[in-house]
Amino acid sequence: MLQRFLNPTVLSSISGLELVAKTVVDGFVSGLHRSPDFGFSQEFAEYRAYSEGDDLRHVDWNVFARTERAYLKRYRGETNSQLTLLLDVSASMGFGSHSLSKLDYARFLTASICYMSNQQRDAAGIIVFDDDVKNYVPPSTRQGQFARLVHAIEKAEPGTRTNLEKPLLHCQQFLHRRGIIALISDFYEEPERVIKAVEPLRFHGNELILFHVLDPQEIRPVINEPMLVLDMETKDALEVTPDYVRNEYREKIDAHIAGLRDHAQRAGMDYFLLDTSRPLDEALREYLSIRQRRR
Amino acid sequence: MGFLSPWFLGGLAALGLPVYLHLLKQHKSVPLPFSSLMFFEKRTQSSIKHRRLKYLLLLALRLALILLLALAFANPFVTTAVNPMAEGKKLFIVAVDNSFSMRTGDRLAPAKQQALDALSTFRSGDLGQVVSFASKASLLTQQVQDPAGLRTAIQSIAQGDGRSSYAELSQMLRSAAQASHVPVEVHIFSDMQKSSLPSPFSELSVAGNTRVILHSQAGADEPNWFVESVNAPRSVYQAKKVRVLATVAGASSPALDTDVAVVLNNKVLETKKVKIPANGRVTVEFFLADAPYGLNRGEVRVSAGDKLAQDNTLPFALERKEPGRVLFVHEARQPRGVLYYKTALDAPADSALTVDAVTTDQAANVSPQKYSFVVLSDVAYLPVQFEDSLKKYVRGGGSVLIALGSAAATRPRVPIFDEAITESRYSGRNAERFQGAASVDSTHPALSRANGFEGVKFYQTVQVVPGNARVLARLTDQTPLVMEKKIGEGRALVFGSTFDNIANDFPLHASFVPFVEQSANYLSGVEKSAADFTVDSYLELRSAKDQGTALEVLDPDGKRALSLSEAATAQTFQLPREGFFELRRANGRHELIAVHADRRESDLSMIPKETLALWQNMGRGAEQNNGPGGAGNTHTAPYSLWWYFALVLLIVSLLESLFASRYLAAENEPMVRKEAA
Repeated sequence: MLQRFLNPTVLSSISGLELVAKTVVDGFVSGLHRSPDFGFSQEFAEYRAYSEGDDLRHVDWNVFARTERAYLKRYRGETNSQLTLLLDVSASMGFGSHSLSKLDYARFLTASICYMSNQQRDAAGIIVFDDDVKNYVPPSTRQGQFARLVHAIEKAEPGTRTNLEKPLLHCQQFLHRRGIIALISDFYEEPERVIKAVEPLRFHGNELILFHVLDPQEIRPVINEPMLVLDMETKDALEVTPDYVRNEYREKIDAHIAGLRDHAQRAGMDYFLLDTSRPLDEALREYLSIRQRRR
Repeated sequence: MGFLSPWFLGGLAALGLPVYLHLLKQHKSVPLPFSSLMFFEKRTQSSIKHRRLKYLLLLALRLALILLLALAFANPFVTTAVNPMAEGKKLFIVAVDNSFSMRTGDRLAPAKQQALDALSTFRSGDLGQVVSFASKASLLTQQVQDPAGLRTAIQSIAQGDGRSSYAELSQMLRSAAQASHVPVEVHIFSDMQKSSLPSPFSELSVAGNTRVILHSQAGADEPNWFVESVNAPRSVYQAKKVRVLATVAGASSPALDTDVAVVLNNKVLETKKVKIPANGRVTVEFFLADAPYGLNRGEVRVSAGDKLAQDNTLPFALERKEPGRVLFVHEARQPRGVLYYKTALDAPADSALTVDAVTTDQAANVSPQKYSFVVLSDVAYLPVQFEDSLKKYVRGGGSVLIALGSAAATRPRVPIFDEAITESRYSGRNAERFQGAASVDSTHPALSRANGFEGVKFYQTVQVVPGNARVLARLTDQTPLVMEKKIGEGRALVFGSTFDNIANDFPLHASFVPFVEQSANYLSGVEKSAADFTVDSYLELRSAKDQGTALEVLDPDGKRALSLSEAATAQTFQLPREGFFELRRANGRHELIAVHADRRESDLSMIPKETLALWQNMGRGAEQNNGPGGAGNTHTAPYSLWWYFALVLLIVSLLESLFASRYLAAENEPMVRKEAA
C-alpha cells in the first residue's frame, strides 16, 4: 500500500524548509481534487451577473464562452488577508521522543502555512517568541517575502521559558490590520491564562487559530522505572513513578487538552491539536477541511 | 572452630574489590528531560530508594560471595567428639612381606596362612584391604567389606625377589589412615629383617588412629651364606683366560669350609675349596679358559646348607666376541707412529680393538666401511678413491682420527676435517724449546684420563684454523692441539701433532695409553656399561638416537616383558626378578642381563624385640595421648565445614547472578519507549 501522507521522519530528512513546505502543501492540495482556490482567504462564494462598472478581470470567461453571459466570480475574502503566525520557541518546544522535535514539527507547519499564503498572495508575517519576541517579520506580499519568512523560521531555535502575555502584547502593537493570527505552541499554561492572553487579539477582530503541538510521549508517556524527570524550562527535577504516569498524568493532560479546546471554542477561536507523530500534510488537510466546513 | 588452611583467609583482602567497584560504579540516576513538569507530582515510592536497596543487596551478596570463597578455602573445622569403637567401624589392613628373604624356609606360605587366620577378627561392617610389600607396597584390593575378596587376595600373593622396605609400607599406611576417617588396624606379616629398617626410625611412624600388630615369621637370626658379588668382564675379545672374582660371605653364621664353583652355561668349569670365616667374607678368583663365542650365562655357586638357597648362586653374563678393527693409514716412510699406536691400543688386558696398518699407497683398495674407525697418521697424500669412500664413511656415521705432522702440513687443508692448515710450527732453540698443553677439556670422553697431557713436550705442531670445530685442548701459545668436528652422522678428531716420538714425546708418557684407549673407545662407540644389576633396578633401554625404534626384552622364562607400545617408547625397564634377561636393542645388538637379588636381603638378622615394641607402640602412643583411657575411648577430631560453606557459596552465587542480571537489565533498558502511534 502506498504511503498516502508524509511521515514526519521523512520531512525531517528533507533539507530546506522551502522544499518541506512545498512538499507538504503541493501534496495535499493536489490530492483534494478541488480547485486551487482552496485556502485561508480566497474562498469561492458565488457567481454574480455582470453589471456595468464591474472589473472585467473578475468575469468568468469560461462561463461566458459556454452561456454567452457575463458572470463575475465572487470570493469570500476578496481582498488579500493578512496572516500572522506566532511561533513559540520556548525550551519545552525542543522536546521530542523521536526523530522530530515539537519545534521541528512547528517549523514545518509554519513554513507550510507560509507557503500556502504565498501561493495565494496573502500577506504573511511571523513572530518568533519564547518569553520575549525573538524575531519579527511583518506581513507583506512583497517579492521575497516567503524567503524572509523561511529564513526567520529556520533561525528559530529553542529558547527559554514560555510567556504568552509579553509577546502577544507586542503583537498587538504590530498588527494594525485585521487578519488571521495562528498561534503555534505546546501551551504549557493553564487554559484560562492562555485564552486570557490571546483574547485581546480576538477583540481586534482577528481570527485566531491555536495550533497545539504535542509529542506523543507528552500525551501518552511510558516509563518502566521510577525515575527523575527534568523540566526543560525550569530545570526542576522530580521523581515520578510508572504508575503515576500511566494513570494520573494521562488524566491531567487529557483534561488540559479538553480545557484548552473548550475555552478556545468558547472564545471563538479555532483549536487544533497536532501530534508530532502524525503526518503533517494529513493534519493540515484535516484542519482545512474542518475549517471549510465551518464556513 | 579453627581453620585447616588459615593462609587462605588472606583472600578476605579481596572484599575491598566489590566495595571499591560498587563505589566507583554507583548508579547515578540520569534525569529524563521533559517538556514540563506541569502535570507531574512527586510520589513517595522513591525510585532512588528502591534502587539503593537493590544496590545494597547486590553489594552484600558479592561481599558474601568473596567471604564464603575465602572461608571455604581456609577449610574451617570444628572439633567433635569421636568414639571410634562406639561407631564400631575400622579399616583392617593385612600387609604381607613377599621380599626375597621370605624365601628362607618358605616363610611366605605360613605368613599367608596367618594372614588368613587374622581375617577371623574381621567383623562385618569393617573395611578391609590387602597389601603386599617389598621395595614398594602394592595394594592388592580396594577397601572392601567382603572378606572373601580379601582371602583371595592373600592367597594370590606370590614370592618376589625384591628388597623389603618397612619405610615404604609405613608411608602407605600413613596415606591410608589419612584417607579414611576410621581407626586403622594393621597386621604386618614379615620376617622382621633388620636390614629392612629405614635409617631414621621416624620413617616408621604411623597415624594416631593406626594400630600396628606385628606377626614375625622368623624365630631367631638364621645363619646364611651367600655369594655377595661377582666381578667378571661383561665382554671379552681376546683368546685369553677370563678372570672372575667372586666374594662369598656369611651373615649370623659360624665359620664354614665349603666349595665355591663357577658355572658357565650350566657347566661347572672350576670348583675351589674355601673357608668362610664367621660373619665374614672371602674372595675367590677363577680363570675361565674356554668361554665360547656369543652370550654366556654364568654363575658362581657356594655350597651351604642354609635355609635360603636362592642366594647361594649369583648369576653373571659374559659375552665373547671378535675385537673391532682399526684402519691405521700412514706414510710408508713413517712406520713409528703405527708402532706406538698399536702397542698402546693392545696394552689393556682385554682390548676391544686391533689395528690394521696400511700405507697411503695401499689404502687405494681398502674400504673403510668394515672398520670401527680410521686413523690418518700424518698423511701428505691420500688416493682419491680412498678419500671419497672415507668421506662417505664418515658422513654415514663413521669416525676418523687425524694426526698432523710435517707431511700433513704440506697440504692446504686437513683431509676429511676440511679446515685450513696455516703453518707447521717448530719450537726453535732461540726461543722456547718446546710447547706444553695449556688448557684441556678433561670432561671429554676421549681426554678424561689423558691427565691433561701433563709433562708432554710438543716440538712440532701443525696449526689449523678451528673453523666450526670444537677445540678440546690447546698448547701454551693457544695453538689448537685436539679438535673435534661432527661431519654428517660421524665425527672427526684432529690431533695437532703425531703419534711417533719425533714431533713430541707423548708416546713415552703414561697418559698416552689411556688417551689412545679412550679415544679409540669413543670413536668406535664401544660402551663400558654396567654388568651388575639387582632386582628392582632400572635398565636403560635406549639412547638419544634410538628413539622411536622398537626393541625387545625377554624375561628369564623367554617371554616378552614389554608390551608393543612399551617396546616402541619405553626408556627404561625395571628388572622385576632374578635371572637372565635378554635385551635386543634398537640397533640390533643382543645383550644378556644378569639380575640378582639385593644381597642385603641375605642378612637374616632380626630386628631387636625392643625396636619391634617401639614400632608397635608408635600408633598406640599417639592414640593414648588423645584422651584418657586409650583406644576405644572418646577423643576429639576435626570436622571440616568447607562443604557447607561451598553449598552456601553456590546459593549466594546463584542469587548474585539473579540480582545482578536484573539490576543490569534495569540499567540498560531505555527509560522511555515510544508508544505505538
